[in-house]
Amino acid sequence: MSEKKDVRILAYESSCDETSTAVIKNGREIESLIVATQIKSHQRFGGVVPEVASRHHIEVISQITKEALNEAHTSWNDIDAIAVTDGPGLVGALLIGVSAAKAASMATGIPLIGVDHIMGHIMAAQLKDQIEYPALALQVSGGHTEIVLMKDPINFEIIGDTRDDAAGEAYDKIGRVLGVNYPAGKTIDAWAHEGKDTFNFPRAMMEDDDYDFSFSGLKSAFINTCHHADQIHEKLNKYDLAASFQAAVIDVLAHKTIRAIKQYQPKTFIMGGGVAANHGLRDCMSAEIAKLPKAKQPKVILPDIKLCGDNAAMIGAAAYNLYNADKFADLTLNADPSQELPYANSMLN
Amino acid sequence: MKILSVSTATNHLSVALNNYETIVEEKNEQDQRNHSEHLDPMIAAILKENNLQLKDLDRFAVAIGPGSYTGLRIGITTVKMFASILNKEVVGISTLQALAKSIDEQNTLIVTGLDARNDNYFAGAYVNNAEKMPEMVIPDGHYHIDVLLKAVSAYLAENDLTKVIFVGTGLAKQDEQIKAMGIDYTYATEEQNELHAGLIGQLAVTAQPVDPDQLLPRYLRRTQAEVDWHKKTGKPFGPDSDYVEEV
Repeated sequence: MSEKKDVRILAYESSCDETSTAVIKNGREIESLIVATQIKSHQRFGGVVPEVASRHHIEVISQITKEALNEAHTSWNDIDAIAVTDGPGLVGALLIGVSAAKAASMATGIPLIGVDHIMGHIMAAQLKDQIEYPALALQVSGGHTEIVLMKDPINFEIIGDTRDDAAGEAYDKIGRVLGVNYPAGKTIDAWAHEGKDTFNFPRAMMEDDDYDFSFSGLKSAFINTCHHADQIHEKLNKYDLAASFQAAVIDVLAHKTIRAIKQYQPKTFIMGGGVAANHGLRDCMSAEIAKLPKAKQPKVILPDIKLCGDNAAMIGAAAYNLYNADKFADLTLNADPSQELPYANSMLN
Repeated sequence: MKILSVSTATNHLSVALNNYETIVEEKNEQDQRNHSEHLDPMIAAILKENNLQLKDLDRFAVAIGPGSYTGLRIGITTVKMFASILNKEVVGISTLQALAKSIDEQNTLIVTGLDARNDNYFAGAYVNNAEKMPEMVIPDGHYHIDVLLKAVSAYLAENDLTKVIFVGTGLAKQDEQIKAMGIDYTYATEEQNELHAGLIGQLAVTAQPVDPDQLLPRYLRRTQAEVDWHKKTGKPFGPDSDYVEEV
């Protein structure tokens, strides 16, 4: 019996404020993962400054390439493909990963694969467990809030999207009002567990007949509540504020996702993106799915918390699926800051 | 010594193959603003036409700045990775020195500048030595035109030079002010005002190689966000490495 050859992919991710490299075996196994985070730098400014991000990326890119190979106890000779996030993201930041990956591909002769950042986030789940298709993903981060239907490992369609702010963006904005430094999600999540949903913030588009979201109304309601209290010198309980905000976000995300699961009946449900690390959201989604009739319950894969944020391991996982489908890039590969997964045609009706 | 040189510092993209000072081939592309898409195919084409592979080269060279921040990073990241992976030498060449290299005249002050908007320039000044190597006499920096021209006047007053040539972008629009200086001056030709990778290759022959990991753009300017933060908090900038940590 012949054994299938192992496929090793060296992956790059540099779309925002993390520079990351990883070596992934067969799309499932992390042989090394290096993440150089710039959070300390951008905390000086209260958010990510694109030019500063690009400057930090180039400072570490060649070092963390060597580190990824060393930590995996491998060398270029054993690498079958070089993968890189080519969008969406900050263009100057993306270009460091793209330029490095292309140069590495030219220098070694190893084929190149461009990976969509959102596809990468969703594929963090593949590093935890086997995904059965069709699958459905709730992708929530600082830049995206989407429900994605996956027919197979490489064909993804967006069936729902945010009309304005992304969920993670709303967390950062209300975090600023509460004096929480960016990124605010982790602290708000922790506070929410100490408080109660007493403010009854609006749940936008909850009963609409689609899978779209809107968080700007919730954000405004939150900010108005805080400003009004300030004006009348009333001190609001920050734990209750956090709990009320989080409940409103999670209610809408869970309600719409469960409805999509009922309609599309996926075999696997996945969460991806930075907000997928939110304990409130993870617990709620697991509980809601457990309420479905046994036969209609998809397998649930929640990625490891440390793989919810930006990292190259997820890019290597997604790249493995593209490798198997012969989806290679050439030397003209460019960064596309506003790249999007395709939207489902059914939604255009 | 086979040298591959790259400039992505301006909207003019240039790649060259040198054998020591001799420019074997140079490819240029004007104003496409698409360096990321075109740089690697251009390198591949030059290598192919000369029956070479990257591993056959001895040294990589790149315009290290000043210039377009994003542009610089594309070229520098590319050669940094080549050198790092193939264990080859890499050198960074001042964009302004490379511009000065297009001027052969001796006993002439070569003022090189790139338009940085609002009458500001990334600029410096060079004088050719006996071997026609431009040596820096006014350091590369970010100058308001008034400051730059004052430095030029001061240099001329203190040295035995009378002729000045201006090379680069956006300098001719300061002609009124330059004329008022009462100096003997000319502007470089359009061809000389563009960065040529072949000239970077010539400067690279004697330049000191650096560790590829340490090859970084010479921006000559902090970002606005950092400047504002510094003004607001009074805190020192500190090494950039303090702000990035592996987790």
